[in-house]
Amino acid sequence: MNDIIGAGPRRVDGRLKVTGHAQYTADHGLKRMAYAYGVYSTIASGRVTRIDVDEAQRMPGVLGIYHHGHFTELYRPPKMKLNPDKIDRLVKVDESRLPFEDDRVYYAGQFVAMVVADSFEQARAAAYKVKVEYKEEPALATLAQAKRVQSPKTAGSDYSRGDPQAGFDKAAHRIDVTYTTPVETHNPMEMHATTAYWEGDRLFVYESTQSVIVHRNTLARIFGLSPDKVELQSPFIGSGFGSKLWAWPHSPATCAVARLVGRPVQFVVPRPQMFTTTGHRPATEQRLRLATDDQGKLLSVRHESVNSTSFTDQNTESCGSVTKSLYSCPNLAVTHATLQVNHGTPTSMRAPGAAPGLFALESAMDEMAEAIGMDPLAFRKLNASTRDESKDMPWSSNHLQEAFDKAAAKFGWDKRTPEPGSMRDGHEIIGYGLAACNWDAMRCACEARVSLRADGTAYVTCGAQDIGTGTYTIVAQAVSKITGLPLEKITVQLGDSSFPPGPVSGGSWATASVLPAVAEATRDAIEQLKSFAIEDGPFKGADPKALEFTNGRLVKGNDALGFGHLLTTRRLSSAEGEARTQTADKSDVSIRSFGAHFVEVRWDPGISRLRVSRVVSAIDVGQVINAKAAANQVEGAIVMAIGMAMFEATHYDERNAMPTNNDYAEYVVPVHADQPPELDVILLDYPDYALNEFGARGIGEIGITGLAAAIANAVYHATGKRIRDLPITLDKLMDEVPQTV
Amino acid sequence: MSDSISPNRRSFLKSVGVSSLAVASAPVWVQAIQAAPVDDTQQSLQPGEQRITLKVNGQAHTLNVPANAILLDVLRDRLQLTGTKKGCDHGQCGACTLHVNGTAVNSCLSLAVSHDGDEITTIEGLEKDGKLHPVQEAFWEHDAYQCGYCTSGQIMSAVAILNDPSIGSDDSSVREAMSGNICRCGAYKNILAAIQSARGKVKGAS
Repeated sequence: MNDIIGAGPRRVDGRLKVTGHAQYTADHGLKRMAYAYGVYSTIASGRVTRIDVDEAQRMPGVLGIYHHGHFTELYRPPKMKLNPDKIDRLVKVDESRLPFEDDRVYYAGQFVAMVVADSFEQARAAAYKVKVEYKEEPALATLAQAKRVQSPKTAGSDYSRGDPQAGFDKAAHRIDVTYTTPVETHNPMEMHATTAYWEGDRLFVYESTQSVIVHRNTLARIFGLSPDKVELQSPFIGSGFGSKLWAWPHSPATCAVARLVGRPVQFVVPRPQMFTTTGHRPATEQRLRLATDDQGKLLSVRHESVNSTSFTDQNTESCGSVTKSLYSCPNLAVTHATLQVNHGTPTSMRAPGAAPGLFALESAMDEMAEAIGMDPLAFRKLNASTRDESKDMPWSSNHLQEAFDKAAAKFGWDKRTPEPGSMRDGHEIIGYGLAACNWDAMRCACEARVSLRADGTAYVTCGAQDIGTGTYTIVAQAVSKITGLPLEKITVQLGDSSFPPGPVSGGSWATASVLPAVAEATRDAIEQLKSFAIEDGPFKGADPKALEFTNGRLVKGNDALGFGHLLTTRRLSSAEGEARTQTADKSDVSIRSFGAHFVEVRWDPGISRLRVSRVVSAIDVGQVINAKAAANQVEGAIVMAIGMAMFEATHYDERNAMPTNNDYAEYVVPVHADQPPELDVILLDYPDYALNEFGARGIGEIGITGLAAAIANAVYHATGKRIRDLPITLDKLMDEVPQTV
Repeated sequence: MSDSISPNRRSFLKSVGVSSLAVASAPVWVQAIQAAPVDDTQQSLQPGEQRITLKVNGQAHTLNVPANAILLDVLRDRLQLTGTKKGCDHGQCGACTLHVNGTAVNSCLSLAVSHDGDEITTIEGLEKDGKLHPVQEAFWEHDAYQCGYCTSGQIMSAVAILNDPSIGSDDSSVREAMSGNICRCGAYKNILAAIQSARGKVKGAS
C-alpha cells in the first residue's frame, strides 16, 4: 500500500506546460497546412442578400471562399438524450443549425463566410475584403425585451411537492423577491480551434474539446461517416468551462473546407467571436418566494426561473435544480422556462443552473433570515436537509453542517455584528456574508487500457481528456496506488478518440468516472500477469489467487518477481488489462457535494471601492485525489465566481442586439490584483464510496456555486444595499451608502 | 523529403517515451513541421514582403515576412515556436508575452518587420542545458497553472518582474505587476506563491 491517493505530487504533465511544449490544437503545424479565417454577420437578425467575393478572390494566396451559396451539404446531428451509461455513443451539438445552411442570420457574429488561404495573414486580409449585404430584421437583444413580446416557453422540467401556495399563505414570515443574472461568457484562455485534414474518406482532427469521443461521434454524423473513419485528438486543452463540451459551427466548417481545398486547414475562433458563436451562460430572471413559521422553519419555497435562449434552440438553465433538495421544506415548487433572443445558442457554463440558481436562492435565504430576525448561519443550519426530499432518499454523504461550523470558526463569523455598515476599519466598511455551495455528483461509463510493460513501466490510455484539472496526474496516481509503481514509471495518454472511450470532462464527472475504469484495467493487467507467472518459474502451478502484487512485484511467501523481469524472461512485451465501468447505482441514495463559503468584503465609500478581502470555504467533495490540484480547482472556481459576482456581463446593444463588449478588455474578468489576499479552502475529505471505490465525487464546479450570493450578502452587510441584479458593479452601490465616521 | 500527408502511427508509437509523459510532444498522424533555423535568403521577396533577421533564443533566422505579419504569428507559424500563445490577439490577455531585447512585450501587438535585428526570448528559451529556469521550476512545484495555456505568458512576465528593480517584492506589488496576464482558470494564488518562491534564485532574466 502506498498513500499516493490524497497526496499532492506535482503534475506529471507539468514539465510540458512550463516549457511551452504542451501542444494545444493550434500548435499543430502540419505540412502544406492552409489557414481559414471567418466572416461574421454584422446584423443580429435577418437574411444575407448578397455576398461579393470578387475582390477577396483575387487576393494573394486565396484557396477558396465558402458561404451558404457555395458549400458542402452537411447532415444535422440527431437530438439525443444524455445517457451516462452510453456516454461513448452520444452525439450532441447545442446549436442545431449547422454553418452555412441557408441565408438566415439569427445572431450577430454568426458565420456568413469562411476564407481559406496559404497563410494566416492572407486569409485574414482576404476575409476583410468579402462584402456581405443583408436584409436586416428587428432583433431582440435582452431577456427584458423578449419578455415584452413573448410568453415564456416551459422547459418541461417543473417540479413540486406539498402545497407551496397554501404553505406560503399561512406562514408567519414571507418574502417575494426577483433576481437577475446577465449573459456570461466562458472565455477559456485557449480560443476554440480546429486543425483538420482528410485522407480519402478518413477525417483527422485536432480539436480543443472537452470530449474527444462525443466530438468524434458528432463529426462522423455531420459528414455521414462511420465513427471509425474519424479520429480526433485533444492532448491539451486550454480549458473550456463548458464551452468546449459540444461542437460549435467552426468545427464542421473547418473540416468541410479542409476537404474542399484538399489540404490540412487550421482555424482559430477569434476572441470577439468567442462571445458569439461558441456558447455562453444565458441571462436569467428568477423569482423566489420563501416563507417560514415563527421559529424560522421553511414552510414554502418557490423558485421560478426564466432564461434567454436562441431562436434556433431551447436550452434551459436549470436554476432550481439545487433548490429542490438543499434545504428541508415540505412545500416546494421549481419551474424553468425560456424566452428567445437574438444571441447564439447558450450552453452549460461551469456549474450550469447551480451558479445562477444559488446566487438567487442563497441571497433569498439571507433576505428571509433578516425578515425573521435570525442570524443567516443559524437560519441555514436550522433548515439544512437531512435527506434528499426531492427524491425521498438518504444522502450518501452530507457534511454541510460540519462545513458551516469549520468555515465559520476559521473565518470568525462570531465577530459579525448584524447591523449593516456596523463593522468598520478606518475608512473602510467591512461586510461579512456566507452561502452554501452544492453540486450533483455523477459518474459515466468509461473504458481504459493499462499495459504493464517489459521495461517495468505502466502505460495507460483512456479516451478522456485533461482540460487542466489534473486528470493525467490523478490517473497516474490511481495506477501507482494499485501497482506500487512510482509516478515516473507510469505514462498516461488521454485525449485521443482512438483510445478506449472515456467520459466528457465536464460536470465534475471525469474523476469519478475515469478512476474506477483505470483501476479495474490495472487489476485486469495484473491478472494476466499472474496467468503468465504460473506457467513457469518460481510460481509454476501456483494458484493465481495466492499471488500478491505489491510494489511492482508478484509475491508468494519468500518468492518475489518483478513484473518487468517476468515479462522479459518470457519474451513478452506486456501484460494487458482492459475495463469498462458503468455508472453508480443511485436507486436508493442521492449523491451530491456540499460546502459553505464565507466572504469578507471591504467597501470604501469615499472612493467607491469594493474588494473581496477574504474567503474561507469548507467543502466536502469526497476523497481528494491530488491535494494540490484539488485545492487549485476550488480556488480557481472562487476566482471565477468573484468575476460572476462583481464584473462579468456580456452586453448587447438594445437597438440591434450587437454585442458591445466582446473582448477581453471590455468583458472584465478577475486578474491577479482581484485575488483576495486571504483565500482558505478546507476540503473535508470524507470518501463517498456510494459513487466509486475511490470515494471521489469530482471538484470542478462546486467552488463557483454559492459564492456570488456570499459576496452579495457581504455587500449588503457592508452597505445596506441588497443587489439582486448581477454583477455587483460600483454604480449599483453609489447611492445612499452609509456615512463613514 | 516527401510532403505527402498520411497517418503516421509508427512515428507516433515511437514517440511514446517510457520515462516521461510524451503527450503530443511529437508528431502524430501527419508529419508536423519541426522548429528549425529558417533562412529565406534564397527566396525572392514577394510584393509587400520585407527581409528581417530575428535572433530567437540564441538562434538567428532570416525571414521574408509580409508587412502585415505579427511577431506572434511569425514565431508560431514560420518558426514553429508554439510555446507562445495567442489568447486574444488584442494585447488584452498577456498569453503572448515574450522578451524583446530583455523587455517583456505582448507579441500580438507587434509587427514582425519592426523587429529586424532584435533578440527575442520565448518560453522555449528559458530552459538551459536541460535545466529548467527557477521560475519554471517554481510554477511546476506550486501548481501555478491549470490548463497551462496562459502559463508561458505568466512565466515570461514573472521573469521580467523579478528582474525589474522598480517593482516591489511584496505580494500586492507582484499582483499589480502581473495583472496584465489573465489566468481564466484562476490559479492566481499559486502563481503568486511560485513567483515569490523563485525570488532570489533568478539572476539575469534572459
